[in-house]
Amino acid sequence: MSTKNYLILCAVISAGLSLSLLYIPSFSLLVEQLMLLFLSTNAG
Amino acid sequence: MVRIVLQVIGILILIPLVTIVTLRIDNQDADGPSVLFPGGKLVSGELHTGPEPDWSFTDEVPTIELQLEDPLASRVIFVMESDGKVYVPSGYMRSFLGRLWKDWAFQADAGNGLAVARINGVRYERQLVRITDPQEISGVAAKLAQKYAGGATPETVAEVERSVADGDTWIFQMAPRGVET
Repeated sequence: MSTKNYLILCAVISAGLSLSLLYIPSFSLLVEQLMLLFLSTNAG
Repeated sequence: MVRIVLQVIGILILIPLVTIVTLRIDNQDADGPSVLFPGGKLVSGELHTGPEPDWSFTDEVPTIELQLEDPLASRVIFVMESDGKVYVPSGYMRSFLGRLWKDWAFQADAGNGLAVARINGVRYERQLVRITDPQEISGVAAKLAQKYAGGATPETVAEVERSVADGDTWIFQMAPRGVET
């Protein structure tokens, strides 16, 4: 993939992910719970 | 081929980075924390005044919101009552991830410990005092094990006590403000 297209892809992923986290509460909650599970398992 | 691999790695790094930054910024000024990310000042809810409450009601409360005054940030945390006093724990204190995740405990211990706890929608102005007395720890460990570790068996309580003695878990009393530290 060309650098230009790659940067566009990164921007689209970033924007889509951020908007999903900000405006879909159930999605952000699921993500946080998965992160909490990861930390609880690996932080020790 | 190498280029493709590097691009995939880049995206795999980008996704958690964007996630963490977005959720961190979204919650930093909110009235209370989210599940994992710190929130801002606790502003809503009745402010408790008057005599010390009977903290045994917290036996039915799985988590509370705790906000430090300095630095001003709030987070979700466990709570235990023991011998008429109320306590909060902080685990993973000696691991690398723990030091990043539980920065509030280091800040409370190093600072004045002034805090606001919100329990069932009511705010309580408190002062966090780290406790190390083994007798006091023993009672708190039993409640911690009972509420959050599947039961207060001798083995579980001993494991909690060992975790506190080793410094992996810190226990703070949420004392009335003005207590001598």
